[in-house]
Amino acid sequence: MQQKVEGYPLKEYTTKICQIAKEALENREVTAIIGWRKKDFWWQSPVVFLEDPADVQQLVWDPFTIYSPVKFLLDWQESCAAKVGIFVKGCDSRGINRLLQDKRLERERVAVYGVPCGGKADAEKIRASFPSKEIKSVTLIGEELVLAVGEREERVKAEAYLLDKCLSCRHPNPVVYDKLVWEEVSPRQYADESRFARVQAVESLVTEERFAYWQRQFDRCIRCFACRNTCPACNCRVCIFDQAEPRWLGKANDPADTLNYHIIRAFHVAGRCFECGECERICPAGVPLQELNRKLIKGINDAYGDYEAGLDPTDVPPLGTYRGEDPAGFDES
Amino acid sequence: MKRIAKANLAELLSAMAAEAKLYVPAESDGIVNFVSWQEGLAVELAALNVLVPPKKFFYPQTETVLKYEMGEDLQIEDFACKAGEKAILFAVRPCDVSSFAMMDKVYLEEPPDEAYRRRRENTTVIALGCTEPDEACFCQSFDIDAAKAPGADVLAVDTGEELALVAQTEKGEELISALNGLLSEATSGDENKVKDEQEKIADRYVTSVSLRGIKERLAGMFAADYWERLYKRCIGCGTCTFLCPTCHCFDLQEYAAGNCGERIRCWDACMFADFTQMAGGHNPRPSQKERVRQRFMHKLNYFPQQHGDYACVGCGRCVRKCPVNLDILEVIREAGGGTDGL
Repeated sequence: MQQKVEGYPLKEYTTKICQIAKEALENREVTAIIGWRKKDFWWQSPVVFLEDPADVQQLVWDPFTIYSPVKFLLDWQESCAAKVGIFVKGCDSRGINRLLQDKRLERERVAVYGVPCGGKADAEKIRASFPSKEIKSVTLIGEELVLAVGEREERVKAEAYLLDKCLSCRHPNPVVYDKLVWEEVSPRQYADESRFARVQAVESLVTEERFAYWQRQFDRCIRCFACRNTCPACNCRVCIFDQAEPRWLGKANDPADTLNYHIIRAFHVAGRCFECGECERICPAGVPLQELNRKLIKGINDAYGDYEAGLDPTDVPPLGTYRGEDPAGFDES
Repeated sequence: MKRIAKANLAELLSAMAAEAKLYVPAESDGIVNFVSWQEGLAVELAALNVLVPPKKFFYPQTETVLKYEMGEDLQIEDFACKAGEKAILFAVRPCDVSSFAMMDKVYLEEPPDEAYRRRRENTTVIALGCTEPDEACFCQSFDIDAAKAPGADVLAVDTGEELALVAQTEKGEELISALNGLLSEATSGDENKVKDEQEKIADRYVTSVSLRGIKERLAGMFAADYWERLYKRCIGCGTCTFLCPTCHCFDLQEYAAGNCGERIRCWDACMFADFTQMAGGHNPRPSQKERVRQRFMHKLNYFPQQHGDYACVGCGRCVRKCPVNLDILEVIREAGGGTDGL
């Protein structure tokens, strides 16, 4: 199948996004907009919050508008803005459904602008081929990444420079929105094949090797909690790991406690993780958290039939219900 | 000045490991960290910053302070007086070397922290001069010469095929003389080569900030709206603080069981909600706004007021690793420092 990609000429994406934001603010449909802006370096497109229509020129859509804006809705809803307009990619939109299903978001207080997404770029992959210091800008045009490097322009096939998580993305188009910003893109080829590839690789290790593998991974964990803090599925009002009395998780960076943290985090999002992969991407220590999340997804699929979280907030999550035919019944002994 | 061919690096490391516990930067699963050296380990000399800064060797993420047991009498076992095995840190970047002097101001001023003092004293630091800063490096803005590292015991300079080694302290002299059999005397040609390498770097920075007046301006910004705008995208993780070579705040925790227990000291982060949580439930920094403000105020105003230096060495870890790109470059620039070079 031919990959259908974002097909606008350069800069038109950004213009569209700015337009929608400007109109929404001017018409008072929303009191604030959450999108992305550009920062100092080519690889930085952080989330930005805007309330003044005059500021919408800050908004961008580029290969690095990766960070999910969704979890910020929790703070905004509690603090101020009557209605927030938010731009969401396919993965981000499933976070909206996550919050809705977890009853943490009032749907009528958000205007969702769905942004079909052809995948985001991996700065590390780009750095491996081009001198980072000399890169002025990176743009995605069709299936090509166009880089301004020093005085020259380089065009490369985008696929080789996309984030791994985007290569295994099954839902590049937003699954919930009030307005679609531009037309939908086709899901990526081979996304399904790569989805569980790493899980299977780890599964194929013998127990001792597998234990050593995870020990090595968790050994690098610095206990910063970025994986939890970024995750829209981690939306408890008070997280058990933050409780001092009783203290469920020791503050010492002890291997047993770190393992405990990671197991509980993974199990707590089991059946609720919608595979945005942000925990793994932003982990400063490179802990492959998506392998844990997908191992549990694979297990759920095997036990209860295929299920994908974050697609429909009214569905019945397999771990949130019990059916007589479920493989593991209640232990009556 | 001495020199050794990089091809013979393994022998040099082996000889150093015979002198003391040796730590080197090494890559594992794509991440470079300081690890304990062992025969056959590939040393990563190209990476600029290791992930976890070497402050961990003097101020570990977790350490036992004491153990106690209540019997007839209270028995207390002090761990501070046992700290500090003889160690060598190899290939510490100059920004991180500068961070040690900054940390010393906290932990070595009267009364000194015994565990920290012992570790500092027993560790020989070999710096590796930089020649090619990346775009997130801005140590130059803090007047750090990345080609040199005056705080290190030995300075190593990569001259291509060889490493030049210069002892800069008595400890450094001792180490160099212990390794003498493996080293050859540098010629004036080598010295020129080192000088050339060291001169290259000054023009290779693409990022710099001006700190002129920042301390004073921040002094008047405690109640500014600026923090309200800045903090909103902070997710309150500990990446910036834990990866910062100058962040030094800790927590003391009791691990008690029955009539005995252990007191540990561990890194804490002002970004965490529970950092200032009081026993009665009150939190003087109730939202992320106060926490973000605290971090930057501490680095650019409180610390310089108390100790004379900024609590930042421009290593760029927070710039590279903050998941939401909220870093000190932005604050220095927006709070009124210059924007030259950015």
